[in-house]
Amino acid sequence: MPQNIIEIRNLDNKFGKQWIHHKLQLDIPKGEILAIIGGSGSGKTTLLRSMLMLQEPLAGEIKIFGENLKNITHAKAQKIRSRWGVLFQHSALFSAFTVLENIMFPMQELTNLTKQQQQDLALLKISLVGLPNHAANMYPYELSGGMQRRAAAARALAMDPELLFLDEPTTGLDPISARQFDELIVLLKNSLNLTIVIISHDIASLERCTDRVAFIGEGKVLALEPIEQLKLNQHPLIAQYFSNII
Amino acid sequence: MNVNISIMRHYLPPTVKLNPENNTIELNGSWEIYSINAVEWPEITANSHKLTIDASQIISLDSAGAYALIEFRKKLHARNVSSIVIGLSADKAELYDLISSKISHLKPQLNQEEKEPILVRIGKEAYQKYLQLIGLLTLVGDLLLTIKHNFDKPRRFHFDYIFSNIAQTGIFALPILALLSFLIGVVLAYQMGLQLETYGANIFIAYLCGMAIFREFGPLITAIIVAGRTSSAFTAQIGSMKLNEEIDALETMGLSPTEFLVAPKVIGLTVVFPLLIFWSNIFGILGAMFMGKIMLHIGYHDFLVRLRESVGLKQMALGLYKAPAFAILIALVGCFQGFRVGNSADSVGHQTTKSVVQSLFLIIIIDAIYSIIYSALDL
Repeated sequence: MPQNIIEIRNLDNKFGKQWIHHKLQLDIPKGEILAIIGGSGSGKTTLLRSMLMLQEPLAGEIKIFGENLKNITHAKAQKIRSRWGVLFQHSALFSAFTVLENIMFPMQELTNLTKQQQQDLALLKISLVGLPNHAANMYPYELSGGMQRRAAAARALAMDPELLFLDEPTTGLDPISARQFDELIVLLKNSLNLTIVIISHDIASLERCTDRVAFIGEGKVLALEPIEQLKLNQHPLIAQYFSNII
Repeated sequence: MNVNISIMRHYLPPTVKLNPENNTIELNGSWEIYSINAVEWPEITANSHKLTIDASQIISLDSAGAYALIEFRKKLHARNVSSIVIGLSADKAELYDLISSKISHLKPQLNQEEKEPILVRIGKEAYQKYLQLIGLLTLVGDLLLTIKHNFDKPRRFHFDYIFSNIAQTGIFALPILALLSFLIGVVLAYQMGLQLETYGANIFIAYLCGMAIFREFGPLITAIIVAGRTSSAFTAQIGSMKLNEEIDALETMGLSPTEFLVAPKVIGLTVVFPLLIFWSNIFGILGAMFMGKIMLHIGYHDFLVRLRESVGLKQMALGLYKAPAFAILIALVGCFQGFRVGNSADSVGHQTTKSVVQSLFLIIIIDAIYSIIYSALDL
């Protein structure tokens, strides 16, 4: 029986007078690549921010690694944070640091590894995400968009997380970089035993790398199924979404 | 198969046990990034040339754990001890192989900064300063051209921006400026009063404070406060716009950043600066009057009459003449440093600091130049 890394029950969120989420339910089992899609304003980002403890939901329950995020103690929250990695939409690399320093930064602050170990592990992550070795000493602004995304992925992997959140990882990448990035996601999932949650609009990319896709609309998860089935779903919102995109 | 790992796992410290009888090392515990530094590796004596590393009891393994194990085997290898790893479950073995294939390519390359000879560094720095000067002059030229073109189409002056700049840089600075000027007036009167009292020349307090405040302190305090408040704000605003590519967006639309960002700031500050100096003068004199009354027992009326007779409007005007120079300088330096912001959040802070320091530096230089001119003209 698969275990659920994330369990969301009856999540409510409101923006002004409008419901963003209303009684939203979602389970994410261990070892799955799950994508969350939906039209603009359907609350994907709010859902992600709620899961990341960046925004407190109005009502409802979110459990990550079996811990309820509501009224969680600081120590437990820190423990959860140490087990996930996040890749932000605009990479969010620290601009004052080189790529190597960006990846070493969480290790420096959170572990007692020696400098040499930190550096070796950081270089390891750099080669794992397919960046050339010389990128290590470059600053984020010296990298192309695709390389920045890879560097951000390397930083998200710095602490060897079990759970990886990717916020629009392939948006703004050229098709070749996007495909390489998808292959990277699958490789990482298989070799590092990750559970991956992706927020994305890129259907081609979802077809390549996801196990299942959750479609959010009307404040709920309207469907949770593999992308091939989702494309054939007759729900008007879902059908409209795919007809607009393809 | 170990199915019952609870979702909230327990970390067990990783342990290593050497069994000398059959040359086996048994590994135990969680081999993860938080714990691998706690591993105490056993001393390997020279008589064991072949070691078996039994990893079947490992609870969890991540890439840092695999790295630690690989490093240990490298050390063994350096001592001519060969080793094999047994007992890794399939997914852990896959991770281990991936890491060990990647780790052989690691080439640590840290930035090695070459030290240049001192003369080269001085030369480079001087050239940088020269380029900065050229940049500032370019901005001045661009600004003058923009203002000249604006007269063809007065709408281009963007009066709404000018007014909002006047509010931001002028009106909102009034309280702090009043308070500081008042305090300076008090301190000034106190220090002079100490001397005057010994000569019994109490009434000269009006003349001395009036001269000092109108000619120097009013303009200087205003300039210092505006430099701290406004020039830094200009730099931070333009700098973050540059980081966010907003400046590039303006350029590509065919709109001039100078017209939208620099000209309203320079014009607004130039308009409001003399008023700020006047405001500072009022409160400086109030502070001096207050202290004169308390310490030297000079009535407010006597003080003001004496001020008008011995100092007069002419001295105040000499202070106000400094306003345009200070205002244009502060606004230009603030904007110029904003445009020099590079690609990192760090450089916003760096240039903001620079803009305040440079404005203060240049204010004092300009003030000195004014003094020279005034004394040459016998004013």
